Amino acid sequence: MTTMESSSFSFWAATLIFLSAYGLIISERIHKTIVAVFGAGVVLVLGILDQHEAFHMEELGIDWNVIFLLISMMLIINILRPTGIFEYIAIKSAKFARAEPFRILVVFSIITAVLSAFLDNVTTVLLITPVTLLIADALNVDPVPYLISCALASNIGGTATLIGDPPNIMIASKARLDFLAFIYHLTPVVIIIMACYIAAIKLIWGRRLVTTQELQQKILKMNERAAIKDSILLKKAMSVLVLVLIGFTLHSTLHLEPATIALFGAGLLLLLSKTQDPHHLLAEVEWPTIFFFIGLFVMVGAVVKVGLISWLSSQMLRLTQGNLFATSMLVLWFSAVASAIVDNIPYVATMNPLIIDMAQQIWPHETGLQLLQHADLMPIWWSLALGACLGGNATAIGASANVIVVGFAEKAGRPISFLRFMAYGVPITILSVAISTLYIWIRYYLIRF
Amino acid sequence: MRAKDIMIPVQDFLTPENTLKEAVILLKTARRGEAGVGVKGLPVLDADSRIIGMLSMRDILKAVFPFYMTMMDLGDFTWDGMLEDIARRSSQRKVREIMSKEVITVPADAPLMECIDRMLKHNIKRLPVITEEGRLTGMIYERDVFFVITKAMLN
Repeated sequence: MTTMESSSFSFWAATLIFLSAYGLIISERIHKTIVAVFGAGVVLVLGILDQHEAFHMEELGIDWNVIFLLISMMLIINILRPTGIFEYIAIKSAKFARAEPFRILVVFSIITAVLSAFLDNVTTVLLITPVTLLIADALNVDPVPYLISCALASNIGGTATLIGDPPNIMIASKARLDFLAFIYHLTPVVIIIMACYIAAIKLIWGRRLVTTQELQQKILKMNERAAIKDSILLKKAMSVLVLVLIGFTLHSTLHLEPATIALFGAGLLLLLSKTQDPHHLLAEVEWPTIFFFIGLFVMVGAVVKVGLISWLSSQMLRLTQGNLFATSMLVLWFSAVASAIVDNIPYVATMNPLIIDMAQQIWPHETGLQLLQHADLMPIWWSLALGACLGGNATAIGASANVIVVGFAEKAGRPISFLRFMAYGVPITILSVAISTLYIWIRYYLIRF
Repeated sequence: MRAKDIMIPVQDFLTPENTLKEAVILLKTARRGEAGVGVKGLPVLDADSRIIGMLSMRDILKAVFPFYMTMMDLGDFTWDGMLEDIARRSSQRKVREIMSKEVITVPADAPLMECIDRMLKHNIKRLPVITEEGRLTGMIYERDVFFVITKAMLN
């Protein structure tokens, strides 16, 4: 009787904490990191999840694979950034586009998408938009199309790889999927989406961006080589980055987790950089994001332990009546809508255990990799990744990259209203999710390739 | 000696609604004290003569420096005429957008060492002196404090 009472207390307490935290995160009344860390603290103090479960158990606790992959990649970028390579790439691409405004928009979108596939989206946007604004000033064109397309392209490109966007990192870690699996399953559809996206921006902005030859000369005269501030460090950093990327592609063959590869790369680059001041490099790690993840993992662990996630997954199965194609579609579209409203990180943190629980209900006799990577489950993981990453494009608050460009637009004196962002974001999101729908249906249910 | 003994009464000041163009005109013509030396910064006062900001030459430099240039090393990629263009475009911006809003002040009866303390810790060269009611009564400039030091040393 007492166990029943205490378990029912745990269930309602964990659910209440979880829902309140979600509400507070959406309302933005308190910083999301504070909400997550405090929520985790409450969950632990009430004993809903004990410290051992939170810190040391793979199924319930903090996913250290995600945490160390993020920290290590941030460190590598922090060392690479002052070398000037990103300024170099941006100026070089503007010149490559012959300083024509629309061509620059296309080239920058592609560069942003490619960089986002390997770096965090927010980092990419922070590296690209300052140069974008400089170039818009030089050409005397409206910077808004460049800013919006930078955010949209970073979210699309980030979907392509395991390390491109945090939802993918989380999915990979939970489902134990490797780097090449993401390349094999997601990169093709992302390339198709990018191609359609470029056609779409051609329709939207193709004729509206005009400048004069005289202004174009300003850009053509720029010497991108001047951007490189430390070529020795740049060579070292690029070598480490290449090594890390090779490591990622081979990580399952090497039996090493992506976090191990990234941590090794970060350590190696710190050593090679001969820095006497690791303090400031470490201080520049996005600790609020890292602690947001830590807090979330603990809160989600609690609702998994008390059975809320399990209950939700049965509801989803009832809704789709065990039809896995229907489940895929539901996950894809629901994820897209959810990510447009909520941060996709807490959303995926919640969905991961839900999908695993659902798989356990469908295939009760399977365990381990047979369960996590069941052939019929794979399209659902990809639907989750596509929906959660692409859905972020719909609104100005759908993804952190969007929040940043909207902030920049305001600082540049060209504010982008919530509705104006949606006027571009919603059609692009619908387009990209529709392409994903066709892709999932054709590839995994029609030709089963 | 105290703040009120070396402060210079304020003749020229800005209001938050002044444009940047009006501000630079005043900066060009404003003189302080009997010596008639030019000033590099002016107080911004509200309707009740309360100080709500300071506008210095450095604030104006910051106002024409694009924010995106603070984020990356883009100094090598600027062009001739860029500064003048942005300066012209900025001329109608309001003082309230550009002024430094965190004003460090001293009370009129503050000892001079307290004045130096404020100047050094906040890296400022002009210190507004305020009355008990919070109204601006004068300004202390770095060089006037320096004159006190010189006098003490030479005597």
